[in-house]
Amino acid sequence: MPGPIPDSAVIKPAQPRESPLGLTLRALLRKRSSRIAMVVLGVIMLVGLLAPFIAPYDPAAQPDIVALKDLPPSLAHPFGTDPYSRDVLSRVIYGARLSLTIGILATIVSLTLGVAYGAVSGYIGGTLDAIMMRVLDAFLSIPRLLLMLGVLVAWPHLSIGALVLFLGLTGWFGLSRIVRGQVLALKHAEFVTAAQALGASRRRILARHLLPNLVSPIAVAATLGVAHVIVLEAGLSYLGIGVPQPLASWGNIIQDGADQVARLWWMSLFPGMFMVLTVMMLNILGEAMRDVYERRS
Amino acid sequence: MASPLLSIRDLRTYFYTESGVAKAVDGVSFDIGAGETVGIVGESGCGKSVTALSILRLIQPPGRIETGSRIEFEGKDLVTLADDEMRNIRGNRISMIFQEPMSALNPVFTVGDQVAEVARIHAGIGRKKSWERAVETLALTGIPAPEERAKQYPHQLSGGMRQRVLIAMALIMKPALIIADEPTTALDVTIQAQILDLLVHLQKEFGTSILMITHDLGVIAETTSRVIVMYAGEIVEEASVTELFARPHHPYTEGLMHSMPHIGHDQERLNVIPGTVPAPTNWPHGCRFRERCPYSWELPEREHPPLYDVGAGHISRCHLAREPERRNHPHQPLVVQEGVGAA
Repeated sequence: MPGPIPDSAVIKPAQPRESPLGLTLRALLRKRSSRIAMVVLGVIMLVGLLAPFIAPYDPAAQPDIVALKDLPPSLAHPFGTDPYSRDVLSRVIYGARLSLTIGILATIVSLTLGVAYGAVSGYIGGTLDAIMMRVLDAFLSIPRLLLMLGVLVAWPHLSIGALVLFLGLTGWFGLSRIVRGQVLALKHAEFVTAAQALGASRRRILARHLLPNLVSPIAVAATLGVAHVIVLEAGLSYLGIGVPQPLASWGNIIQDGADQVARLWWMSLFPGMFMVLTVMMLNILGEAMRDVYERRS
Repeated sequence: MASPLLSIRDLRTYFYTESGVAKAVDGVSFDIGAGETVGIVGESGCGKSVTALSILRLIQPPGRIETGSRIEFEGKDLVTLADDEMRNIRGNRISMIFQEPMSALNPVFTVGDQVAEVARIHAGIGRKKSWERAVETLALTGIPAPEERAKQYPHQLSGGMRQRVLIAMALIMKPALIIADEPTTALDVTIQAQILDLLVHLQKEFGTSILMITHDLGVIAETTSRVIVMYAGEIVEEASVTELFARPHHPYTEGLMHSMPHIGHDQERLNVIPGTVPAPTNWPHGCRFRERCPYSWELPEREHPPLYDVGAGHISRCHLAREPERRNHPHQPLVVQEGVGAA
């Protein structure tokens, strides 16, 4: 006679436990383009993170402003040197650190604002929604770059913190529209009514039932948002009103060689390459995420 | 008789739409006793779901429960209760089971978490405790391997399992009243029977009252002791189940019963009630069923029928109570005569 069958052998759930987040990650890993994008972005972030250990020189050091300036790429300086004799490779590495940090922090700022504004507007609805959306329309009618130029010309010596805040404060309008739309679409979903019928408060419904369902579109917007901020910061730094010297960002490295682009080609090529690569990978990843979640819904 | 658990008097829920005031529920009164199962039956658009949502005060604008309506439950008037007190009743003293088990669960949380959430809201207990209770409640609803199932997401469960999860959510606080809004409509027939059995069983075990909302007379026959038939925002007939099935009085109820297919009867076509429920923004004068009724005459056209007592605790909103002999002379209903067509 066989012994009693242990419970665990009899009862097997049909499928393994799978969170929506895990599913998304796996779908992303299945696709080659997004896999590559994640690896490349991972490497660039690691480089930024470990900049002090990787960079061969101090990015701000000007060892010999006469003999070591404007050197083309060589073994000692793989990306060459700039007109102040600084090592461009080291500056590009530190630039990765700063540009990504600014991109991510500014996006966190705009994410917070955009999600809060859009969620409140969509969930409460009615007159408040109408007013909030008209205010948003007003904001959206001001070109972002123009607004920035205005402010940065008025206060030319913004600290990095202020720059991040500023990039974040001007970047949430589009996202709040997306969030509002999603909240509007979801707030009459049956599971929301069900949560209400079981006694959940409005705040709880918004925080626990609506927002978690918006993670996908928010993640897409965030990824694309980081790319956008990186380009913007580079643009501002190129114009000389972004990241202040002697700090290195991809934009101001290019700026340093701008007046002699043809001769100092390495000064635009290498930081430019990194920037294009980063932005491209972020966009590929963002689009792939969008694909995954749109296919699911 | 002890005072009933739920007592609804002259409930009127109107929707202020651009095409006029839709009187979705228009003067409904009924009681539910403790431990009683009451059914509300009627076609789509007759006001049964709005009645259910009104009890929990879940009517969204432009809808509104009109002043003068009273919903008394455990000595409180739910119509005028403060919002936070009302929240405390929802899911705790009165809970609701929804129609679509697919969409009534939040896709991004495990089902155990969602059942536990109800206990966290109302019982003020922590994650671990509420999770244990959720698993216990899931077990009560007959979910096999509840501990494992609780960790799964809605999309990993079948429709019947999801419906059990919704029942567990409604049940976890052991409410006095459960409102079940078409709890089996979205399910396969075999699963339907299981879910109904489960509800009947739980009702007996915990003495919970159930308000069963359905368009399916079969569900009514199987689960309830008393039936309310709604038509055009009003109660048109109310009786015990046995009485109603034995002696349907209102022509609408009669029509509903005739339109049920019967096994064994050779029938080429299903019987239908001609026409559809009129628009709630513009209920007809007189009897609201008159245009679809095979007995209608000038009295129903002139006068809106009251609820007549037709004996044995049976009430009916039909003038036939006054002139019963007209039942022997059916004619083509007005909607057919006018060629509006049989829907």
